[in-house]
Amino acid sequence: MFQFDSDLPSALERRGISRRTFLGFCAAMTATLALPPRFIPRVQAALEGADRPILIWREFQDCAGNTESLLRSSHPAIADIVLELFSLEYHETVMAGAGKQAEAAMEKVIQEQKGKYLAVIEGAIPMGQGGVFCTVGGRTALDIARQVCSNAAATIAVGACAWDGGLVRGAPNPTEAVGVQEAVPGIKVVNLGGCPHNAANTVAVLVHYLTFKELPALDQYGRPLFAYGNIIHDQCERRAHYDAGRFVEEWGDEGHRKGWCLYKMGCKGPQTNYNCPRVGWNDGTSWPVKSGHGCIGCAGPRFWDTMDPFYNRLPNVPGFGADVTAGQVGLGITAATALAFGAHGVASAVRAQVRPKEAVEKPDANKLPAETPAIQATEEKPE
Amino acid sequence: MAATIRPLGLSAEQPAEDRPKRDELVRVYVWELPVRAVHWLIFFSMIVLSVTGYYLHNPFFIVRGQAAFTLATMRFIHEVTAFVFSMAFVVRIYWFFVGNVYARWKAFVPVTRRQRRGLREMLKYYLFLRWVAPQEVGHNPLAAGMYLLVYLLFLVQILTGFALYEWVLGTEPLRTMFGWLPRLINIQYLRETHYFLMFISFAFTIHHVYSALLVAIEEANGLMGSIFSGHKFVPAKVVEQDAAEIEQDAAPNGEPAK
Ligand code: SF4
Ligand code: SF4
Repeated sequence: MFQFDSDLPSALERRGISRRTFLGFCAAMTATLALPPRFIPRVQAALEGADRPILIWREFQDCAGNTESLLRSSHPAIADIVLELFSLEYHETVMAGAGKQAEAAMEKVIQEQKGKYLAVIEGAIPMGQGGVFCTVGGRTALDIARQVCSNAAATIAVGACAWDGGLVRGAPNPTEAVGVQEAVPGIKVVNLGGCPHNAANTVAVLVHYLTFKELPALDQYGRPLFAYGNIIHDQCERRAHYDAGRFVEEWGDEGHRKGWCLYKMGCKGPQTNYNCPRVGWNDGTSWPVKSGHGCIGCAGPRFWDTMDPFYNRLPNVPGFGADVTAGQVGLGITAATALAFGAHGVASAVRAQVRPKEAVEKPDANKLPAETPAIQATEEKPE
Repeated sequence: MAATIRPLGLSAEQPAEDRPKRDELVRVYVWELPVRAVHWLIFFSMIVLSVTGYYLHNPFFIVRGQAAFTLATMRFIHEVTAFVFSMAFVVRIYWFFVGNVYARWKAFVPVTRRQRRGLREMLKYYLFLRWVAPQEVGHNPLAAGMYLLVYLLFLVQILTGFALYEWVLGTEPLRTMFGWLPRLINIQYLRETHYFLMFISFAFTIHHVYSALLVAIEEANGLMGSIFSGHKFVPAKVVEQDAAEIEQDAAPNGEPAK
């Protein structure tokens, strides 16, 4: 299906990618992996010597956004290098083959390269009604994922949907969509959450795999630590304004024009683990907060449901309508308590006035033995 | 105080003529020093935590000037105070097990007949079904039950607070101690809970101050002063009765009131 080349340098040259660009790529990947520069030669050697491992890239309930963000970078080096480094045996968006032949080719790879190829999954997998909501070539996504992922050396789940269901799983989740690690439990998987994934991170995972023959260190969600080890907030260039207490209060206000912190505009940087500020988007030119919009937490778990509303600090209170905040409910409860006890205080004062003398003198039959004389305490009140 | 105050002498060895009369007010040492210290530590840290915490939620004033460091300072104060608060909480939990009979955990769980009766009577008093409040030496069981809920609230605040702290810090041993929480409940809901419970603690504080004043006035037992001095003034017969009942309730390992 793809033309095979003998070695990477000459193959890249044919694509018009200079050695200089390639070395730049190696340096960028080393930096993305948070490795010191002395690893650059090692990465370079590993990539040049790699024997083109096979990738099977399957798309399920997705928008192809992760594919696009990998392929549509303005300078094509990353995509070209990836396409040269790996033998992409199946990828609906870019492959030439179609229909039965394409499926047969994948079948063949799975059989012949069992346990050696890498699976990349993009999109969620519907579990409802036997998975009928997403079928390719007459097979359900779940069926395909089971076959592709459990025979792979490792699975890379790119984007929020493949990680934990993403947008597709957002409430009310009519198709009962889940991420690949839930759909096919027990497989070795690297999750690259984000909507979309950051291609630099995904390629860095592949480079890590080629260089060290193993997957990078993962966090509790199965996400590589080099990309998801720190919160955005701790790497943000607006952080100095946050610490100083200078905030954007309204879009386009003075603070916004001056580049102050977007915390009050609902920035989810403090909640979100990702390396956007460091790696950037669009070939590293910028990232959302840099361009003046708060982070919406797209790399966080179940972010469509949990980070909503995107322009408020906190989620709305369930059961209280769309625009009621926790603070409003809390203040309401506080005020109601104050009112209730205020009223109780008035009533108690009235009780103290109308209380018959016998009631005060009458022993508390339940509390004290029958022969106990009357309680005198109330009569011994000061003043 | 109209009544003569005599040292409490209820032990059997005390000669009968030295013992206070049944209606006489006696001075009882109820709240030991750690209990009072914890109370005031929690009081002050709650004020600091609420002010700084609200600022962290909604930085309502913006400081101009070159060297402003307002939010970071607020956050620092919030975090340091949180440690003070948590330690006060830990001390109080410890005191649940070593404190006097009024401070022990058993006083807070209304399970004995005496406690359930006290709870019922106090509730009746609050609902205007009684003319006078039942007298107690320690906490009345209704208040004690309330405090148990408040300790629970504090625990949730501490857990969610440290989970948020750990989220930023990401280091051991906090990761092992609190890292499991955001995996269980999304960090946004933890944040919301932490913020929302502040208001519940406001509501509690309103209730607490009101009820303390009400009982102090109605029973004239020196309740308001007791959280400073540790002493309450209670008719001797109530103390006697209370001690006898506590002794009755006490399980083999519980010590009767001294
Ligand atoms: S803009 Fe967002 S990520 Fe940056 S400092 Fe402010 S709150 Fe943090
Ligand atoms: S800034 Fe936030 S929302 Fe934007 S891409 Fe990064 S993690 Fe996603």
